[in-house]
Amino acid sequence: MYNLLNWILWLPVIGMIGICFIQKEKKDMIRYAALLTTFLTFGLTILLYLNFDNSVGGIQKSFSVTVPWIPQFNIYYRLGIDGISLPMTLLTGLLFFLCILSSWTVEKSVKAFFALLLMLESAVFGVFFALDFFLFYVYWEVMLLPMFFLIGVWGGENKEYAAVKFFLYTFFGSLLMLVGIIALYYAAGKGDNAFNILALSGGRWSDLSISLFGTEWAFDKLFFWLMFIGFAIKVPVFPFHTWLPHAHVQAPTAVSVILAGVLLKMGTYGFLRIAYPIFPQASVYYADFVALLGLINVLYGAFCAMAQTDVKRLIAYSSISHMGFVMMGLSAMTPQGMNGAVLQMFNHGTSTAMMFLLVGILYERSHHRWIIRPDGSKGFGGIASHLPKFTLIFIIGMFASLGLPGLSGFISEALIFLGIFEKYTAFTVMAALGLLIGAAYLLWMYKRMFFGEVNPDIKGYKDMNKREIFYMLPLCVAVIFFGIFPAPLLNIMKASVGQLVTLLDR
Amino acid sequence: MTTTLIANLSRYVPELIAVVTMIGALFLEAAVGKFDKAKDYIFSAAGIGLILCLISLSKNMSLSATPIFTGAVIIDPFSTMVKIIMVLGVLGSLYVAFVSKDIAENHKSEFVILAMGVLVGGMLLASANNFLTVYLGIETLSILSYVLAALKRNDGKSTEAGIKYALYGGITSGVMLFGMAHLYGILGTIHFSEVLESLSTLDQTKMLILLPSFVLVFVGLGYKIACVPFHMWSPDVYEGSPIPVTTFFAIVPKIAGIAVIVRITHIFFDKSGVLQDSWVGFLQVVAILTITLGNILAIGQKSVKRMLAYSSISHAGFMLIGVLVIDQIGISAICFYGVIYLFMTLGAFGITSFLGDQFNSDRFGIFDGLIKSHPFMSIAMIIIMFSLGGIPPFGGFIAKYNILSASLHKGFYTLAIIAALNSVISLYYYLRIVQSMVFKDATYEENIKGFTFINQLVMLGICFPILFLGFFWEKIMITATNAHLLVK
Repeated sequence: MYNLLNWILWLPVIGMIGICFIQKEKKDMIRYAALLTTFLTFGLTILLYLNFDNSVGGIQKSFSVTVPWIPQFNIYYRLGIDGISLPMTLLTGLLFFLCILSSWTVEKSVKAFFALLLMLESAVFGVFFALDFFLFYVYWEVMLLPMFFLIGVWGGENKEYAAVKFFLYTFFGSLLMLVGIIALYYAAGKGDNAFNILALSGGRWSDLSISLFGTEWAFDKLFFWLMFIGFAIKVPVFPFHTWLPHAHVQAPTAVSVILAGVLLKMGTYGFLRIAYPIFPQASVYYADFVALLGLINVLYGAFCAMAQTDVKRLIAYSSISHMGFVMMGLSAMTPQGMNGAVLQMFNHGTSTAMMFLLVGILYERSHHRWIIRPDGSKGFGGIASHLPKFTLIFIIGMFASLGLPGLSGFISEALIFLGIFEKYTAFTVMAALGLLIGAAYLLWMYKRMFFGEVNPDIKGYKDMNKREIFYMLPLCVAVIFFGIFPAPLLNIMKASVGQLVTLLDR
Repeated sequence: MTTTLIANLSRYVPELIAVVTMIGALFLEAAVGKFDKAKDYIFSAAGIGLILCLISLSKNMSLSATPIFTGAVIIDPFSTMVKIIMVLGVLGSLYVAFVSKDIAENHKSEFVILAMGVLVGGMLLASANNFLTVYLGIETLSILSYVLAALKRNDGKSTEAGIKYALYGGITSGVMLFGMAHLYGILGTIHFSEVLESLSTLDQTKMLILLPSFVLVFVGLGYKIACVPFHMWSPDVYEGSPIPVTTFFAIVPKIAGIAVIVRITHIFFDKSGVLQDSWVGFLQVVAILTITLGNILAIGQKSVKRMLAYSSISHAGFMLIGVLVIDQIGISAICFYGVIYLFMTLGAFGITSFLGDQFNSDRFGIFDGLIKSHPFMSIAMIIIMFSLGGIPPFGGFIAKYNILSASLHKGFYTLAIIAALNSVISLYYYLRIVQSMVFKDATYEENIKGFTFINQLVMLGICFPILFLGFFWEKIMITATNAHLLVK
């Protein structure tokens, strides 16, 4: 039973079951139980990092688990980890730990809230570890259940709409994926390995063809699209992004952080783990189009962010813009571009988590998030002069987010640009424009909220307390440290990303 | 002669038990009907009869397939599996009837008698091997169902439901009989095996003449499973009938109808050719229409019963996909779907019934804020709703997965994608119940009287298989894979 992945995956579930047995009234005990669970889980992910062999590409044998689940139908419980999923695992472990801390002030149905968060954590780990397609799908869907309730019960004024939209939208995408999974299962001859993601990879499907709606389609191109839509909804890629602003704005702080920090990465992770390795020819064939969608994401997200008057909405749109960079990096199919994309997935996770946490902290004091209120007056103003600690941390988060050299966002965006420049020169130039707009909306937002005339309400706000500083600190360290010295992360992913690039190059 | 008859009868024990139970209940009702505890006696007698029936069915499960009664009836693992699902369905709806207030106390024993009769008809249908038996089964099933629908004699809606059901049923069985007569006229026989023989002697173009007659036969069966375009009666009848009867209708006639369609499709359309192509094409259109229309119409409903009626229409469409692939994977997928559908339907109608008794209503509002006052029952309902929508890790997902798998196996990509996307639509209305329970505030303070300890245990018993079969479905699926048809 000594296997790190199993422990990381099931520890949150154990914690969740434990919480179910604590009395409803003992709120602090529930909080500490959740904190302990996530802390231990985070510790285990660190342990995983320490035992990880950077020189080996692909799935690391020493951590793999294969247990028959429904052997008659070739479904196995296969877990494994490589250089692409490890950064995501670390990010997940860290963010959930910090989120539990940030949710200390949640008073409504504490027990259910923390139990659902822990269930979500386990499901997210499951997605990053699963190497069996069926298992992957189950975790991919199970993740929706806690999210639905977390948004719908603890969310803002329009929470029901947001929760249902999020659920249905993601479910739509994953059902298309399910059809793809089953079709692959039969294409692979429904043998022992027909659900094994690794065995399916390598591009064996380019010669098959099927008929759909009365016309002939190339198997790999069609199913690349089915998978693409499933993952693109999660990222979200441009035409499928409409659920995101609602879900983000309505969700409670911790859930926004998880949503932006981890769940969006599941989409791009899906490309890296499934769509690209399994359908390499189709991925290369459609790379231009995917890059274009990425570019649209960058620009569209940035312009939308600029128009927002609600600060949380602004950050939600900035996420769309930043995930566009990841999509562009992926479609470069060069080592720099891919490494940059994976690094950007991690760095965006930390910086956007900072921003959402900070907005949450502010919201707890102001109970509104208007930069400009609907009646035209300013929602905030002069925060800088009254909340110095808050302002300092906000500056770090904001600059990391807009890609200031020396902070984490810069490195990954620079790598992505390096990777795509040769292939898509024009796109690179336009995407750089997106960076500029990014700087514009963030600084403009900063100016309107933190400088200028002091809003009388601000005087009553308390600066950040010790707990809040404590959970912001690791993220500050992460964005600064990985901004100066990204090597530890790059070393992890290099070998695995290299393998993927070789596969796509063929 | 007598020895073969006895040998045949030994295979027919489950049906005999059902008949004896029905007659026994009839006599018991006549004998003790006036006493205070008459209801308890009759229900427990019926329960014992059904459990005996289950035991003898499970014994039949391992026997090899044989036609009995000179080939009029066939006992094979598939029909036995279908009968097990139906008996469980009757058992479940008897329990719902026992605790429900929707049926007047003095009518409850009638429910037992009629339901047992419908079960006998359903069992006959499941193993029918010639057209006459099919007709006999359908009529036994239907005529008693008309009475069941009108069981609330003083309620306008209930009697309306009975009349609608009877009128519609009369017309469709007439159409079906016409189709059968047509087949008999061309082929000169009503036995499935002989029909198959004469079919194989016909050439392809002559076969096409038969297609309309098969479609006419399908009308009668499609009406039983309420597939589009023969579904119009079902929402009204489901809404008008008392909830236990609705529960019963959603399970027994539907499963029986599917069983006959499976048998007919597998016997007559097994060989590839123009006949098979057109039949499969026809079923494909019907399945797509059934799933899509059922789901879309369910969205706007204000009554939970009506919503569940439309949802059961779309579930029948899913099962039709399992039929039209014409192979063992399809049959096993249908059997698995049937098992899960049984538990989900019982659970959903059961909880609606408990709540409906309290508030005398079946609007969505009765679920408002339930999670705060009654967390256990709400979680049970949430599990059932997500399972109906096909979300893992619940059984409903595995059921849909198996159906999709069967259709993709045969290369029906378009059909699979349409069916899969329909799950999104269906999830929307299932989520409405979850939304009212979890997101809305309660509009009432009172304790739900129907949520007794025993009822909670029963719900646990219903939710357990839904959860368990979501994780470990191998055993049931292997049993379903072995539930093959006898095609001669």
